[in-house]
Amino acid sequence: MIEFKNVSKIYVTGTEAVHNATFTIEKGEFAFLVGTSGSGKSTLIKLILKEEEASRGNIIINGKDITYLRQKRVPYLRRSMGVVFQDFRLLPDKTVYDNVAFAMHIVRATPKHIRRQVPMVLSLVGLSNKAKMYPNELSGGEQQRVALARALVNNPSMIIADEPTGNLDPETAWDIMNLLNEINARGTTVVMATHAKDIVNKMKKRVIQIDKGVIIRDDKRGGYSSEV
Amino acid sequence: MIREVDIVVKFNSFTYLISEGIKNVLKNKKASMASLVTMICAMIMFGVFFVLGENANHVVEQVSSSQGIEVFIVNEATDEEINKLESDIWSLGDKIATVTFVSKQEALESMKEQLGSDSDLLDIYEGDNNIFPASFIVTLSDLSYSAEVEQQIWEMDNVKDITSSDQTIDTLIKIANGVKIAIGVIFVFLIIIAITIISNTIKLSVHARRKEISIMKYVGATNGFIRGPFIIEGILIGIVSSALTLLILGTGYDIIIEKIGNSSVLQVMGIQLLQFSDMLQVITIVFLALGIGIGVIGSSISMKKYLEV
Ligand SMILES: Nc1ncnc2c1ncn2[C@@H]1O[C@H](COP(=O)(O)OP(=O)(O)OP(=O)(O)O)[C@@H](O)[C@H]1O
Ligand SMILES: [Mg+2]
Repeated sequence: MIEFKNVSKIYVTGTEAVHNATFTIEKGEFAFLVGTSGSGKSTLIKLILKEEEASRGNIIINGKDITYLRQKRVPYLRRSMGVVFQDFRLLPDKTVYDNVAFAMHIVRATPKHIRRQVPMVLSLVGLSNKAKMYPNELSGGEQQRVALARALVNNPSMIIADEPTGNLDPETAWDIMNLLNEINARGTTVVMATHAKDIVNKMKKRVIQIDKGVIIRDDKRGGYSSEV
Repeated sequence: MIREVDIVVKFNSFTYLISEGIKNVLKNKKASMASLVTMICAMIMFGVFFVLGENANHVVEQVSSSQGIEVFIVNEATDEEINKLESDIWSLGDKIATVTFVSKQEALESMKEQLGSDSDLLDIYEGDNNIFPASFIVTLSDLSYSAEVEQQIWEMDNVKDITSSDQTIDTLIKIANGVKIAIGVIFVFLIIIAITIISNTIKLSVHARRKEISIMKYVGATNGFIRGPFIIEGILIGIVSSALTLLILGTGYDIIIEKIGNSSVLQVMGIQLLQFSDMLQVITIVFLALGIGIGVIGSSISMKKYLEV
C-alpha cells in the first residue's frame, strides 16, 4: 500500500516537480502514472523509493510513514519493492542467472534458497533457456524480462516501474505488460509510469494523471487521457 | 567467448567479499599497481629508519652497559664514609644499575695492566705512596639519566671527582633520539601518504563500478554490504605491499648486515647489530595494522560520496 498525503517536492534548483499530491494505491492494485514529459512522474517514483526526500507532506508505505525514515533503513524499505527502469540497468559482465541471483545475494539469502528461487523467476519470465547468456547477447525485450525477474526474485509486495516499455517495440512492450499483469494477478501491487497511450487505454487499469506536478485526474478504470 | 576474469561467485558472504575485492584489484590493475609501488616505497622508507633506530638503541644499550660513571673518593675518607657514599648512591633508586667499588690498590693494578711492560714505572706508588684514588663505578639503567645522576652524586660527601660519561655515548644518544623523532615524523607521513594513495585507488575502483553500486542500492543493499569489497580491496593492497616490503627490507638488511656486521671496528667495540628476525615481529605488526587500518579508512573516505543515493 502506498499513500501520499499532501506531498510536494521542490528540487534544490527551485523546480516544484510535485505539488500537493494526495492519493492511495491499495495492496494488489495496478496503477499507471501518466503525464507529459517533465510533468513529475519520475519524481513521484523517486519519492516512493526514497531516492528523493519529500519537501512537504507524508508518504506511507505498507503502513509505515517513510517521511522521516533514517537513511540507514532505506535499503530495507527498498527490499519491499522491485524496481524496473526504461534502460534495464543490468550488469554487463554477469550472466542472466547471476544478474538475478545478485539481487538475492544482496539481501543475504541462503545459497539453497537462491538455487531454488532464481530458476523459478527465470521460468516465470520465460528465460530459462538463456540463463547462461550475457545481457549484450539478448534483445531489449529479453533484457527487460531479466530486469523484471531481478525485481521479482525477492518476492516484493510491489513493483515500481518507470517507463519499462520505453525502449521496446510495441509487440515486445506487450510481452512485458502481460508479464506485469500476471504478476499483479498474483497479488503484487504494480505502479508504472508510462507514455504508452495504447497500453494504458487497452489495460483499463487505474490511471493517475499528473500535469506540471499536480494530480489532475485519478480514474479507477481509465484511459490515457480523459477524452478516451 | 572470452570474458573478463569471472570468478564464479559461490554465494557465500565471505567468499563473495574476498572474490569481489580481488576482482576490484584486477579490474583496477593500473591504479592498484601504482598504489602498490608507492606504498612499498613509503613503507621501505619507514622500514629503513625503523631498522636504523632499533640498531641505534641496541648499540646505545650495549655501550652503556659497559660504560659507567666513575666517582672518585677523597683520600681521607674512612671505610664508614665510603660505605655511606655507596648507600647514598644506591638511594638514587631505579636509575642506578650497578655500583662497583674499586680500591686504591685495584686502581693501581689496573693502571699497571694498561702500561704493560712499562708497569715497573709505577712500583714507587705501591703501598702508602699510592696516589690513585679509590672509586665507585656506577652504571645506569638508562644513559639519559647520566647528567642528573652526576649532579646528585656531586652533592654527596667525600666525592673528589667524577668522570662524566663518554662523549661518544652522548653522541650516540643524540643520534638514537634523532632517529626516533625521524621515525615518528616518517610514520605520520607514511600514514598520510598511504591513506591518500589507497583512497584514490579505491575512488577509481568505485567510479568504475558506480553503475553496479547504484543497482545494488535499488535492490536494497546496505551501505556496509556495498562497502565491503572496496574495504577488502584496500586491505589487499595494504597486505600485499606490507608483504613485499618485508621481503625487500629483510633481504636488503641481511645483505648489508653481512657486509658491515663483521667489520673490525664493531668487533673491537664489542658491538653486535640486530638480526632482521629480531625486528620482524614488530615491523610485521606495524605494517599489517597500517595496511588493514588504512584499507578501512581509505576506502570509507572514498566511498562517502557514492553511498548517498
Ligand atoms: N534532480 C533534479 N534536480 C532538479 N530538477 C529536477 C530533477 N529531476 C527532475 N527535475 C525537474 O522536475 C520536473 C519533473 O521531472 P520528472 O523527471 O519527474 O518528469 P517526468 O514526468 O518523469 O518526465 P519524463 O516523462 O520526461 O520522464 C522537471 O521539470 C525536471 O526538470
Ligand atoms: Mg521520467
